[in-house]
Amino acid sequence: MAGLEIISDQGYRIDGRRSSELRKVCARMGVFTQADGSAYIEQGNTKALATVYGPHEVRKGRGKIQHDRAVVNCQFSMATFSTGERKSRPKGDRRSQEMSMHLRQTFEAVIVTELFPRSQIDIYVQILQADGGNYCACVNAATLAVIDAGIPMKDYVCACTAGFIQDSPLLDISYVEESAGAPFLTVAMMPKSEQIVLLEMNSRLHADNMEKVLDLATQGCKDVFAVLDRHVRDHVSESHALMTAS
Amino acid sequence: MIFCSDTPHLPEVAVTILSTNMAAPRVCVPGERLFSTADCEAGPGTYVHHGYIYSCLAGYMHKRKTEGKELSIVEVIRQKEDAVPRIGSIVTAKVTSVSGRMCKCAITCVERTTLREPFRGLIRKEDVRATEKDRVEMYKCFRPGDIVLARVLSLGDANCYLLSTAENELGVVLALSEAGAQMVPVSWCDMQCPKTGSKEFRKVAKVQLQQE
Amino acid sequence: MLKSKTFVKKTRKGGVLKVVREHYLRDDIWCGSAACGGCPQDRPVLEAEPEIDSTLCGFPHYLIPDTNVVLHQMDVLADSAIRNVIILQTVQQEVRHRSGTTYQRLRDQSNNADKHFYVFTNEHHRETYTEREQGESSNDYNDRVIRVATRWYNKHLQENRKDGDTPKVKVVLLTNDRENREKAQKEGLLAYTVHQYVKALKGNPELVDRLAQVDMGESTDSDIKNEATGRVLFPEHLPLSQLQTGIKSGRYLQGSFMASRENYLEANVLVHGDDSRSIFIQGHAHLNRAVNEDVVAIEMLPEDQWKCPSSMVLQDKDGDEETSEPDLGSPKGRSNAIPSGRVVGVIKRNWRPYCGVLQPSGIKEATRHLFMPAERKIPKIRIETRQAESLQGQRIVVSIDGWPRNSRYPKGHFVRKLGEVGDKDTENEVLLLEHDVPHQPFSQAVLNCLPSTPWGITKEDLACREDLRDIPICSVDPPGCTDIDDALHYVEKPNGNIEVGVHIADVTHFIRPNTALDQEAANRGNTVYLCDKRIDMVPELLSSNICSLRGKEERFAFSCIWEMTKDADIVSTRFCKSVICSKAALTYAEAQMMIDDKNRNDPVTVGLRGLNALAKILKKRRIDAGALTLASIEVRFHVDSETHDPIDLETKELRETNSMVEEFMLLANISVAKKILSDFPSCAMLRRHPQPPPSNYDILIKAGKSKGVDIETDTSKALAVSLDQATIPGHPYFNTLLRIISTRCMMQALYFCSGTLPESDYFHYGLATPIYTHFTSPIRRYSDIIVHRLLAVCINADKSYPDLLDKYKSQALCNNLNFRHKMAQYAGRASVELHTQLFFKNKVTEEEGFVLFVRKNAVQVLIPKFGFEGTIFLKSQDGRGEDSPFVFNEEESSQTAGEVKLRMFDRVVVQITVETSHIQHQKLRIRLVKPQVPGFTVPPVDTSNSAEPPVKKVKT
Repeated sequence: MAGLEIISDQGYRIDGRRSSELRKVCARMGVFTQADGSAYIEQGNTKALATVYGPHEVRKGRGKIQHDRAVVNCQFSMATFSTGERKSRPKGDRRSQEMSMHLRQTFEAVIVTELFPRSQIDIYVQILQADGGNYCACVNAATLAVIDAGIPMKDYVCACTAGFIQDSPLLDISYVEESAGAPFLTVAMMPKSEQIVLLEMNSRLHADNMEKVLDLATQGCKDVFAVLDRHVRDHVSESHALMTAS
Repeated sequence: MIFCSDTPHLPEVAVTILSTNMAAPRVCVPGERLFSTADCEAGPGTYVHHGYIYSCLAGYMHKRKTEGKELSIVEVIRQKEDAVPRIGSIVTAKVTSVSGRMCKCAITCVERTTLREPFRGLIRKEDVRATEKDRVEMYKCFRPGDIVLARVLSLGDANCYLLSTAENELGVVLALSEAGAQMVPVSWCDMQCPKTGSKEFRKVAKVQLQQE
Repeated sequence: MLKSKTFVKKTRKGGVLKVVREHYLRDDIWCGSAACGGCPQDRPVLEAEPEIDSTLCGFPHYLIPDTNVVLHQMDVLADSAIRNVIILQTVQQEVRHRSGTTYQRLRDQSNNADKHFYVFTNEHHRETYTEREQGESSNDYNDRVIRVATRWYNKHLQENRKDGDTPKVKVVLLTNDRENREKAQKEGLLAYTVHQYVKALKGNPELVDRLAQVDMGESTDSDIKNEATGRVLFPEHLPLSQLQTGIKSGRYLQGSFMASRENYLEANVLVHGDDSRSIFIQGHAHLNRAVNEDVVAIEMLPEDQWKCPSSMVLQDKDGDEETSEPDLGSPKGRSNAIPSGRVVGVIKRNWRPYCGVLQPSGIKEATRHLFMPAERKIPKIRIETRQAESLQGQRIVVSIDGWPRNSRYPKGHFVRKLGEVGDKDTENEVLLLEHDVPHQPFSQAVLNCLPSTPWGITKEDLACREDLRDIPICSVDPPGCTDIDDALHYVEKPNGNIEVGVHIADVTHFIRPNTALDQEAANRGNTVYLCDKRIDMVPELLSSNICSLRGKEERFAFSCIWEMTKDADIVSTRFCKSVICSKAALTYAEAQMMIDDKNRNDPVTVGLRGLNALAKILKKRRIDAGALTLASIEVRFHVDSETHDPIDLETKELRETNSMVEEFMLLANISVAKKILSDFPSCAMLRRHPQPPPSNYDILIKAGKSKGVDIETDTSKALAVSLDQATIPGHPYFNTLLRIISTRCMMQALYFCSGTLPESDYFHYGLATPIYTHFTSPIRRYSDIIVHRLLAVCINADKSYPDLLDKYKSQALCNNLNFRHKMAQYAGRASVELHTQLFFKNKVTEEEGFVLFVRKNAVQVLIPKFGFEGTIFLKSQDGRGEDSPFVFNEEESSQTAGEVKLRMFDRVVVQITVETSHIQHQKLRIRLVKPQVPGFTVPPVDTSNSAEPPVKKVKT
C-alpha cells in the first residue's frame, strides 16, 4: 500500500493529533531591541521571526507615498536552512514575492494606517524552519511584532490552515499533510469580529465540503487567537511588573 | 523588559522617584471592546467602530476627565510610549565622557519610563549649575559612569539632546569611588567613599525621598 | 488545547534528507476495555468478561498478536471463535506497509462489532511510547514496543478494575518469534505461539487447519532447511532494497506477472509504465515462484537466450515433486524469439484465496495434500489437513502462505468448504468467488434506502420534470427482459424535421450519492449475467420495477431529445428529466413484426419505422467512419424449469430492430459524452477504446495469409474494409471466423476520468468516435449512474457532490468499474462454460467445428453451434509426441498426419463428451472425428447433425 495514512481509523493523525487540534504554539515578543517591534513564534516545527520598523518616513521610492495613510511594506523570506534541502535563494523568488504581497494585503487591512499619513511601516518576516503553514506562522508572528511595536491595529490577525484529506477536515496541517496533495485553505481573520482578511485555497474543493473546512479554519484561528492573546497580556503585564515592582 | 546592556543596575533611588501611584490598571489588546461611545470619548490608542470604542494597542486603559467636558476620555497607553525625551522632562542618564566644556551622557530613562535604547545627551558647562556658572570645572562635577538626573533643555541638534542639571534636585545621584564603592553624598558638591573615606567632587543632587 | 508533550522523531529518507516530524503523546487514549474503571470511555470495545475455552489460558483474557501473526494467521484471527483482540497501532501500521489485502481484512475485523477487535494507538499514548534505542534493529524495536504495550495493559487492567466482582482480565501476547516470546516471559508476560494457543482451544478443532504453514515460528528464515529432498529448486529472490536500486538503475524491470492460461511453464510480464511492453518468461527457474498477478522484478536475458512461446498447450499434470521440465523446444528460427527475461524477485504478492479441489491422495491417512485451483493460471498448492477425507469431492477455498525455495509447489492452508463438486450452486459460487463478484444479498442498510411501496408520482415530482406522458414512447428489448432501462420515441415536427427521443430510466432519482445503496452499487459496478442467474447491481425493487420502463406505467426518465432532419443530421440536442409512460414494451421480434406489418399505422408503429430508417442512415455513416463490426458468439440456454439444468441451447439471433435500438443508444451516449465533457473537462466519466498496437494483429494477418487474404490493419477503417472483403467462396463461415479472431486482437475498452488523460486518448477505436461514454443502462451499470449525475448537474436538475467532481476519486472508481466489468465478462463466460458442461453431461455429441488456432501439440477448435472452443490434443502433453501421427509445421502453422493436414479455418467434425474419469475436475473432452486419421480419430456416432451455423451477433 502506497503512501502515508494521513488520518487513522481511530482519528489520530501521523503526529498524534486529532483532526481539530492545533500544533503546539510557542511565542515570544520583543526578541530584538534594535527593531521597533519583533516577535518569534513556533507552531509545531514551523518557526518564524518577524520584525517591524516604523512608522517612519518613506525611504525608497517617494512615489509610493500615500497622502492619507501609511504604506505597509512586507518582505517574506525563508532561511536557507529552513527546509530539508538547503535553499539556494532565501528570498525574491516567485513564491516569496507572492507571500510578501499576501502579507501586505493582510496587514494593510488591519493596521490603522490613516493615523500615519505619508509614512511607511516595514514588516520583515523570516521562516527559520518550515513544516507546513508558513503563511500562518508569518501572519501570527507579524501580528505580535506589530503589537510589540505599538502600531495601532483594529484587531489581531490570526491565520490558520485547514485541509480536506481523506474525506475529513484537518486543522493546522503539517508539511507531510500538505504534501499529500489534498486541497487546503489558508485563512487569515480578525478573530473577534470573524472578518476574513485573506483566504487562499490551493486546489479545487467541492462547495459542500468548503463550509466544513472553513468552519474548522475559523475555529482554528480563534484557538490561535486565544494563545496569542494570552502571550500579549502576559507580555504587557510582565513589562509593567518589571517597571513597577523591583 | 530589556534594559540597556551597559546599565548594570538601575539605581533604587531613581526608581523610587519614578514609580507611580497607579492601581492595577486594565490590560487591553488590539480589537478589545472598551466602552460604548455613549459612555466615553475615544482618546489616543483607541478607535471607534459601530458605536463602540475599541483598543488598537496593547497596553493599559486610562480614563481621563477633562474640564468642560461631560464624558471622560478613554485612552490606551503603552508602557513604552512617550519614551521620547521632551523639553522639560526629567531624564536619567549615564555619563559616558567628560571634557573641559561639556559632558556626554546616555539617556536611559525618561520620567518613569525606561528606554529600550539609550538616547544621547549633552550637558554643557554653563548648564551644570544655576549659580557661579563661569567657575564650573567639569571634572569636579561629573565622572564617566555616574548616574545623573537632568532636565531636557532643548532637542538640540540632530543627534543630541541638551540637558541641564541647574537645579538643586538635579545632578549626580549615584557614583562609584576610585576604590569602586558606591559613594554617599556629604554636601552639594562632595561625595565620600564609605571604604576609604576619601572625598570626591560631584554636582550632587538633593534627592527628595518618598515624595508621594 | 493539547495535553501533550512534543517529541521529535528523526528519520532519514533517501540520501541525506533529514525529516523531522513532531510526535505528540496523549493522555486521552483509552484502553477500550469494559473491565476497566479508570478510562472515561464511551463505548468500550473489549468485553468485560471475555470467554474462550482453552486448556492453556483458562482465564478471561485479551489477545495481542504481533505483526507476523496478523500477516500470516489472518484466517485464524478472522474466525468467529477469536474475539477480544487488541491490535496495536505499531502492528497495524506494519501490516499496512507489508500487505494491503491483509490490512483491509484487519480493518474489516475491527469494524465488526461482534469481533471485539480494538485498535490501541500505543505510539501516541504517553505511557506506552517507547523511544528507539541506539543500534536497535527495527524488528527488535517493534517487538519491544509490543511488549511494553502488553505490560502496560496488564498493569492498567489490574489497577483499574471496575469493582471487586469482575474477574481479573489478563493479556496474552501471541508471537511466533522465539526471542520475543522468551523476553516477554522473562518480563513476566504471558506469551505463546499461535500454534500453542490455537491447539489448546477447546471446541474449535477446525481452526488448526487454518493455521498457516509458513514459519512454524522456530525456523529462521535465512536458509531454509530442506525437509525432504534437500534440494533447492529455485534461485533465491533478491531483497527488496536490491530490487529497488536495480529498478532505478534500469537493470531490472518491474511488472505484473501474467501466467499463461495454456502453458503453466510460460508467462508474460507486463512492464509497468509501458503498457505495450511485455516480456516473456519460460521455465520453472525463470518463473521463480511468481504467481499470477504478482508484481515482480525481472531481469532481461541476453538476446541469444531469448525464447519463443512454445505454442504448446501444457497443463501441470502430475503431482510429484519432480522438476523435470518437458522439452519446450528451443526455437529454431531466431526470428521468432521474443524479448525474454527471468524473475529475480517478487515486489508484491497478490495472493488471494483460491477455489479448487483436493487432488486425491493414495494414502488415506496422509495429512499433506495437493490442492488444484480452478483457475489454471495458479499453481497447485500444498496444504496440510486432517480432514482430507471429508474434503474429497468438495469445492474448497485455500490460501497460499509462502513458497520456499525447496518446494515445487507453494504452501498454503485450508480456509473453508464451499460444497460438492458438480453441484450447480456450488459451481456458481465458485465462479462468483473466482471472479470476485460481490453476490451476497443486499444488506438491510441498503434496503432501507429504497423508496416505500406502493410507489407513486407526486405533484412535486411533476413540477420539476417535463411531462412526456402523451408522446408515443416504446421500448424494445430481448424477450424476458425485466430491467428495461431505455425507451424511444419518434415524432414528426411541423417544420418537417423529426424529434427523436431516447428515454433512460432515471435511476439516480432513487440512488442518492453516498447512501449505503449508492456505495453498494458502486462496489458491485454492474449487474452480472450468468446463464441461470442475474446478480443485480441494485435491489430488485428498483431494477425490475420502479426504474424499469415498463409498458403502460408512469415512470421517471432522463431524456435525451434531438431534433433531426430527415437525413439524420442533428439540428439540436436537449436533455431533461421527465415523466414518461411507455406505450408498449416490445421484444425485438415483436417490433420487427410491427414494422413489417403494412397494415398497422398506429403512432408507435410509425415511430418504429421512422426510427428504423434513421438508424440505417446513422449506421452507414458510422461504418463509413471506420466503425468495426466484430463477431462473437453468444448462446442462450433453455433451462428446465424444475431441475434448472440446461436442456437445450441456441445462439442469439439478431434482427434489424436490435441494430435500430443500438444506433440510438450510441447516439445518445455520444451526445451525452460531449455535453458532460464540455461542462466538466476534468472529471467527466468517459469510455475509451485504445487502438491496439500493430503487433496484436500479427495473428490476424497470418491467419488471413494462410487463405490468401490480405488484411489491412493501419486504421480501423482499413480493417473494417478489408474484413468486409475477406470472403472465400464455399467457406461461408470464414468471414465470421476472421472477425472472431480480430475481436481477440482488440484492447479492452475502459472507463476513465477525463482529467487524467490527454485528449487524444479519449478516442473509441471500435466505434470510431472521438468521444464516448455510457449513459443508457443505469440499472445495470454504475458508470451510467455517474454519467447521469454529471448530466443532471449540467442541466441544473440536481446538485453536485464532492466526490463527483474529484478526478482522483472518479479515476479510482473507474478502475473498480473496469475491473468489475472485466470480471463480469469472465464470470459470464465461465458460466456458459459450466452450463455447456452440464448440457453435455451423459451425452455424446458430434458437431461441426472450425480450426481456430494450430499449436505445437494441439489444435483449438471453435464449435459455432455451441459457441465454445475446445482443444484437441494431438500429442501427449510433455510435447515428446512419439506416439502421435501428427507433424507440426511452424511456418504455415499446420499439423500433418499422413494425408491429412489441419490448418487454420479447416472444417472438422468433432465429438464432444464430458470427461468423467476425473470426477474432481470435470471437463469437456473433444475428439476428432473428421478428417479421419487412423489410430487417432474416433468413429462417428450415428446422429444426424447438420445444422447450419446460425447467424452471429454483431458486436460493436
